[in-house]
Amino acid sequence: MSGSLGRAAAAALLRWGRGAGGGLPGVRAASSGVGGGGQAEQLDALVKKDKVVVFLKGTPEQPQCGFSNAVVQILRLHGVRDYAAYNVLDDPELRQGIKDYSNWPTIPQVYLNGEFVGGCDILLQMHQNGDLVEELKKLGIRSALLDEKKDQDSK
Amino acid sequence: SSLPLLHCVHRMFASQTEGELNITHVLKEKFPRATAIKVTDISGGCGAMYEITIESEEFKEKRTVQQHQMVNQALKEEIKGMHGLRIFTSVPKCL
Repeated sequence: MSGSLGRAAAAALLRWGRGAGGGLPGVRAASSGVGGGGQAEQLDALVKKDKVVVFLKGTPEQPQCGFSNAVVQILRLHGVRDYAAYNVLDDPELRQGIKDYSNWPTIPQVYLNGEFVGGCDILLQMHQNGDLVEELKKLGIRSALLDEKKDQDSK
Repeated sequence: SSLPLLHCVHRMFASQTEGELNITHVLKEKFPRATAIKVTDISGGCGAMYEITIESEEFKEKRTVQQHQMVNQALKEEIKGMHGLRIFTSVPKCL
């Protein structure tokens, strides 16, 4: 599958300290201002507000962690430009709150259609086995990799 | 003194760090039907980050995220001391 990440390439992605974001239109690197009572409800609303929601260390333009960067780059590969990205480094309550909410101990966290999908390992696996293209399709998002493949087939 | 040299030799030939051994032990207990368990310290022996590969029929018919959750739960205490971890789960192919 064109654009698929081999093990070595995936390992390289994780080593990148800074993302090669370079202007991602439609991405809201929002600060959620989460805290206090009803945090679970607030987070629930947050993950359901957009089709694709990610919690990162850093921003899509400047990920501060290799795993968060991997998530950003995979979404970029699929041409997903309109997604909500929340930087847990901006907000310690969010950082702990989202882990409590999903009962998942690590960041990044990926939510599709309000549902927790997993971290970067799972997203990578979904990317490699074609599941991500399918899940995006269910959300009405056409993966850019489908167009890439189409071009290749027609040559 | 020969102690540092002995320590070096031990590390060179020791197949696993204490942390790796401990985590493997916990996983063996929590996943008694696991057919393969591999724990690797990927933080240069610092115990900060681990890569865990585990194959077990206990994962059968569970979504990947649920399989990973089972591992998270099993290693709840150990994870508190980690900076990060990578998990790869699978179901045995031949039963």
